[in-house]
Amino acid sequence: MIQLLLVFIPIFSAVAVWRIKNRQNRMRMLLALTSLMHLVLSAVMTFRSEWNADFSWLQHWLYADELGKCFLFLTSLLFCMVAIHTVFWIKAEQDAQETREHPEGLLKLHIFVSGLLAFEGMMTLVILSVDFGLLWVAVEATTLVSAPLILFHRSARSLEAMWKYLLICSVGIGLALFGTMLLAAAMPPGEGDLRFTHVTGVRHLLKPVWFKASFIFILAGYGTKMGLAPFHTWLPDAHSESPGTVSALLSGALLNCSLLGIIRFYEAAPDEMKSFCANLMVALGILSLVFAAFFTVRQLDFKRLLAYSSVEHMGLLSILWSIPSIRDAAAIHMYAHSLIKMALFLTAGNLLLACGTRRTDLLGGLSGKLQRNSILFFAGVLMICGVPPSPIFATELRLIMALPPIAGAAVLILLLIIFAAMTHTVLHLICGPDKKVLPDESLSIQAEKLVWIPGVMLVLALALGMIQLHSIL
Amino acid sequence: MTFISEILLALFLLAALRLAGASRLKHCIAVTACQGTVTALYPLFVHNWAEFSHDTNMQMILLALLTLGVKGFLLPALLVRAMHTAQVKRELEPLVSYPVSILLVVLFACGAFTLCVKYPVAPAGTSVLAAPSALIAIFTGLFIIVARKKAITQSIGFLFFENGITLFGACMKLEYGFLVEFGILLDVFVLVFVMGIAVFHISREFEHIDADRLHLLGDTMEPAKQGETAK
Repeated sequence: MIQLLLVFIPIFSAVAVWRIKNRQNRMRMLLALTSLMHLVLSAVMTFRSEWNADFSWLQHWLYADELGKCFLFLTSLLFCMVAIHTVFWIKAEQDAQETREHPEGLLKLHIFVSGLLAFEGMMTLVILSVDFGLLWVAVEATTLVSAPLILFHRSARSLEAMWKYLLICSVGIGLALFGTMLLAAAMPPGEGDLRFTHVTGVRHLLKPVWFKASFIFILAGYGTKMGLAPFHTWLPDAHSESPGTVSALLSGALLNCSLLGIIRFYEAAPDEMKSFCANLMVALGILSLVFAAFFTVRQLDFKRLLAYSSVEHMGLLSILWSIPSIRDAAAIHMYAHSLIKMALFLTAGNLLLACGTRRTDLLGGLSGKLQRNSILFFAGVLMICGVPPSPIFATELRLIMALPPIAGAAVLILLLIIFAAMTHTVLHLICGPDKKVLPDESLSIQAEKLVWIPGVMLVLALALGMIQLHSIL
Repeated sequence: MTFISEILLALFLLAALRLAGASRLKHCIAVTACQGTVTALYPLFVHNWAEFSHDTNMQMILLALLTLGVKGFLLPALLVRAMHTAQVKRELEPLVSYPVSILLVVLFACGAFTLCVKYPVAPAGTSVLAAPSALIAIFTGLFIIVARKKAITQSIGFLFFENGITLFGACMKLEYGFLVEFGILLDVFVLVFVMGIAVFHISREFEHIDADRLHLLGDTMEPAKQGETAK
């Protein structure tokens, strides 16, 4: 029963928002309360396994296995953090519109809040679904409910980003549907049931040619949504044009949901085809690192810089999940990336609120007026690049050691390029000389008040890193 | 029954050729409506009614009616509405000309038939036209998305592509169950609905709906010059 509540509470709240659309305070309160309730239920689901298995009929559709619990708790925690941040940020953003010279206009609050809540419901459905068909329906639904969120700042640029997101992701997900059908074709005769447990149970009977074809389409399809190169083209546009809170959710939570789709298929692969699937995942992972390294160098937009960092980490996760001996490192990397990246995007949103531009060549010396945000941003960038004691340091180290020497060396070089490019840009942004655009005085004060949630997330990531370092030393 | 299903598949194939050669959006939408109708009806003619329970058969009919309503009428109506609001009637300068497009669809057809002869995917008893028709629609839909400029034509291309995938599922006699099939249909409906709204906003904001002219975003930003201010 708890599975149903986890999916439907956010959806009911999303509908309820339309009933109170003229009362902004209530809408914000509903967003925070729903996310808190979801987090509590997720924690119960994760840590009290008897609550997970109450109705047998429900388990045919929704169930959290160990992998699902890992994703569910993370998604719920991140959403709750973002929801609380949004409650305060949205007021500041509305005030900022009044002070700007050329206000862009904002999406109506009830549409935004409703979209956020529905987004949480659909992400939960992705994680809890136990059937490849239902998984596809849920992943596609996340695209549909998140697309309007990109349009929060109603500008021509965000409209373009939304169109690209909608079209590219939908075509990608369409390919994933085709891949799902090919999986059905790979099933032995008379076995039409596409539940994960069933497919895994008969995986030794799957027809190899059709399964290979299926996995290629699945990797291309869900890989598009996950931001794996070369299918990542929507990601930098959507992440840079969305408000900070939405970018944080897209990067920290949504990409993981698509990754889960790929992992489910990988787990269903027959033993003799695991290496084929793993090789494909490693190839796309390294290609993602190459693209990220190329585009982070001399990047002039600090949110695009973070977006390419997401492409990098999705590539790393793809490689990590394909190596069974370091699965625990893959899970820790995913947690660490989500926490740190979410903190970074929320801080980037604060910087954007105060400065009104994302262009790094127009900004400089932010540490003067935006001291707290600057410290958080710099600390976050160091952590996402794997500087110890970041948990990413330990996971990247284990990955490089697990790969063959040439591949390991290639990954290390690419990681160093990205580290150099990101720190160079961010150091100039924070410690460089003042440039053409200076942060607005009053908006800077507001932005400095919005550092608590990103700060808590970085502290959580730091704690995770300390535990990691302790375990390897 | 077999005769009717073969006729439906032939219509499906012809729709791909017609879409590749159609410049008027009204005709493109009509072709998509026709294809959607075929997608809805085809499963009814290949379903083995005696083999399944009464409930399953009723679900099959209900799903076919829903698909017919959504893909045959509702979505084309939404696209027509988007066309009127954007005040666009035809695709004047496609990225790939119409004769070349038709030629490419013919080549897709040759490729799809060759592939299906080499790797027979459909279960025994299914028409030999079924799987190639579905693959041709998938390729054609993807081709239309990249070869046409108008955002609305790209939406039509996506719908065509999705209909191809649905037909592929039908020819494989896949049965996901009512809930999942309904979910897929609902997703497609909402997607085209959101695309229609996006087309309206794009036409209002940019005063055109040419997707190839949407290039405000990218990584090739010029560094700021002296005296330049933020956007």
